[in-house]
Amino acid sequence: MERIHLHALPVRIWHWVNLAAFIILIVTGAQIKMGDKINLFSFETAVDVHSWLGFILIANYFIWLVYYLVTRNIKIYIPPLHHPVEFAKKALTQAKFYGWGIMVGDDNPHHPTFYNKFNPMQQVSYLMIMVLLIPLQLITGLFLWDPHLFGPGVNLIGGIQIADLIHVGLWIFFSAFMIVHFYLATLGHTPMAHIIAMFKGYEEVHEEHGHVHDEGHDEGQGNVHAEEHGHSH
Amino acid sequence: MNSKKFIAIFFFVSLIIFPICVNTAKGAVSKDAKLCLACHSDQTLTKKLQDKSMLSLYINESEFAASVHVKTGCSGCHRDISLDNHPVVKKITSKRNYMIQQSGKCSVCHTAEELDKRQPIHRSLAAKGTCVECHGSHYIRAMAVEKIGIKENQYCITCHRNRISMTMKNRETLSVYVDESVIKNSAHGKLQCTECHTGFSKTSHPMRSFDSVRDYSVITSEICWKCHADAYKLYEASVHNEHLKAGNMKAPACTDCHGSHSAVSAKKDRSIGLTSCNKCHRDMSPSFEASIHGKALKKGNKDAPVCSSCHNAHDVESTAATTKIKAGCLKCHKDAAKVHSKWLKNPPITLPTFAEAHFDVVSCAACHASGGERGIYLSLYNRRTNKPLTEQELMDMFGTDSAGLTAKMDTNGDGLVDAKEVWDIFHDLFNKGVIAIFMGKMDVRTAEQAHMIGGKEEGIKDCGKCHHPEAEFFKNVYVVMKKDEGNPVLLEAKRDVLNSVYSILPISKFYAIGSSSIKLLDILFIVALIGGIAVPIGHISLRIITSPIRALRRMGKGGKK
Repeated sequence: MERIHLHALPVRIWHWVNLAAFIILIVTGAQIKMGDKINLFSFETAVDVHSWLGFILIANYFIWLVYYLVTRNIKIYIPPLHHPVEFAKKALTQAKFYGWGIMVGDDNPHHPTFYNKFNPMQQVSYLMIMVLLIPLQLITGLFLWDPHLFGPGVNLIGGIQIADLIHVGLWIFFSAFMIVHFYLATLGHTPMAHIIAMFKGYEEVHEEHGHVHDEGHDEGQGNVHAEEHGHSH
Repeated sequence: MNSKKFIAIFFFVSLIIFPICVNTAKGAVSKDAKLCLACHSDQTLTKKLQDKSMLSLYINESEFAASVHVKTGCSGCHRDISLDNHPVVKKITSKRNYMIQQSGKCSVCHTAEELDKRQPIHRSLAAKGTCVECHGSHYIRAMAVEKIGIKENQYCITCHRNRISMTMKNRETLSVYVDESVIKNSAHGKLQCTECHTGFSKTSHPMRSFDSVRDYSVITSEICWKCHADAYKLYEASVHNEHLKAGNMKAPACTDCHGSHSAVSAKKDRSIGLTSCNKCHRDMSPSFEASIHGKALKKGNKDAPVCSSCHNAHDVESTAATTKIKAGCLKCHKDAAKVHSKWLKNPPITLPTFAEAHFDVVSCAACHASGGERGIYLSLYNRRTNKPLTEQELMDMFGTDSAGLTAKMDTNGDGLVDAKEVWDIFHDLFNKGVIAIFMGKMDVRTAEQAHMIGGKEEGIKDCGKCHHPEAEFFKNVYVVMKKDEGNPVLLEAKRDVLNSVYSILPISKFYAIGSSSIKLLDILFIVALIGGIAVPIGHISLRIITSPIRALRRMGKGGKK
């Protein structure tokens, strides 16, 4: 049994705070917006909770940002755009794996390490989410939180209805994303492998399913140098 | 001024005055006149007139001797009276009639031609027979002397203290009587008459003609601009001026509110901001009087508002088309945002700007008026200029009239503007180079309601009144177009105008969480949830279906390793 160090403590804290905040924000958002269809809390309670968690999410975003910038590990989110064809091929291979390979028992073509955590599809989608979509959601959330205070920003994007359109559009996206994300998290070598790893920081893999992998730049990461990882499908 | 200069001026003035003084020196009273004065120098000599009033027949000899008519003698004017014929019983109905009757005799010497030449205004006054009222009777002095001896205002008032009037082209008459005490107590008490009545002086009294009394009031209001340019600038943008420009002569000009000679400084007497408005807006009185403001005013609270406190005195706007009315409330309730933020807040940080965000689109009356219905008013604005698009501008753009424009706004003719129709107008205007926007505002439905402001405890604090898909206050929606003369055109709109995907751009600056959300997004949310769930279900299903393949591969049978 090999242990692969994947998630540093700040990342794990950020992730689980994010998860809790996202779920509650999605639910309270639904309550705020669809008071005629949902009746879980009062409008006032939903707004209060939504606003509190919105700010927690902002603070949490900065935990993520500062951590990845200080450790310079932000590069794990940056696709190798200097090798676009190779990257596109890898992305296609990954898509094929989820669409077919996983059904027939192929190994996951991507073997995550601390410094190469994301497969090409994850890399593109998480980059978009973390650099574009979440900031957009947070900014439009602030606009809706106090349209007068952020009046110039609201006017810049065309009006408060536009801010709502973006915020609600992303709310819809994240609602669907959360479900799919949760499902994908169960596609480790065991259904709970990725999830436990996100708690413990390490993912345990059986050597017989493993895949020797050396990224060549794991220096200084303590017990993680050459790691093995694989899927047990 | 040095002494040499003073002496030179003194001699110069003396040279002018001397001949006049010589001319006005006491003349000799004729023998005939002396005979008349034998009786009429008795101060107790009076005559009882038919209206029971007493007419003094006393003549002060020395004053008479100083008058310009001393040489004319008594019979020069009183031609029906002589030593041989002094009617014992001469019927005189009243002093006024007697003055008119006697004034008629002036024209024997002072012909119309002569008066016209001297001062044309005499023509209109002579017709009313009031020579005596202005010039007096027995002690008339040369006008040149009168003018030197009295100040300009006194000179004017010499005639205008009398019940004289002016006749308009439509035969209306306007009293030009001036109560000296009123003008002295007015805000203009220290001004010279000619400071306002430009073109008039001791030597010039132009003859003017006006269509009507109203025409006179409106035109003469222009006098005020000279000094009150700032106020006029504000007035120019007012609904009152817009009405006036559009030909509504009932719309108020300066003097309608401020009066003319009785003008009082509004800083000293705030009641002008109530009484003058009530002349036209009397129907608003009951609702105002029933309000917390009206009651406070009645109790003598000096801080209680009058009409102009909220609506402004000069830049009055049509309340249905304005977004400024809130400023009127905030003049007094300066800390309103802070006070509201005690409960109207959004955690985790309490800022007054959150309350201000509500103030931006909700009229104060919408929450503080007692009872009544509320509505959402969507006013058509030009997004670039941030000014309302008036009905006239729209009619010009579309080459149609008012009815045609209404038909364009409500193309299906169902009497309700729907979301597609809002989009069509937005789109048509865009094609004509105008980026339009419907600026939303929540307000009470009637002006009476707007005045019925209740106490703090009556204010609405229930967020659900607005922030709910079926919010009570969002049931009535109107599209507002400003007419050139200020009053708005209101077209009823469908409720879903606020929730349609068609409205995203045309109504992009009005939004209330929960009640003006785009309905299509609700559907998309459900679809996304279903889609999100469908992905794992579909994938798991495929994995279940394909599980034999994996099992075979694990056992090393078939498939690739």
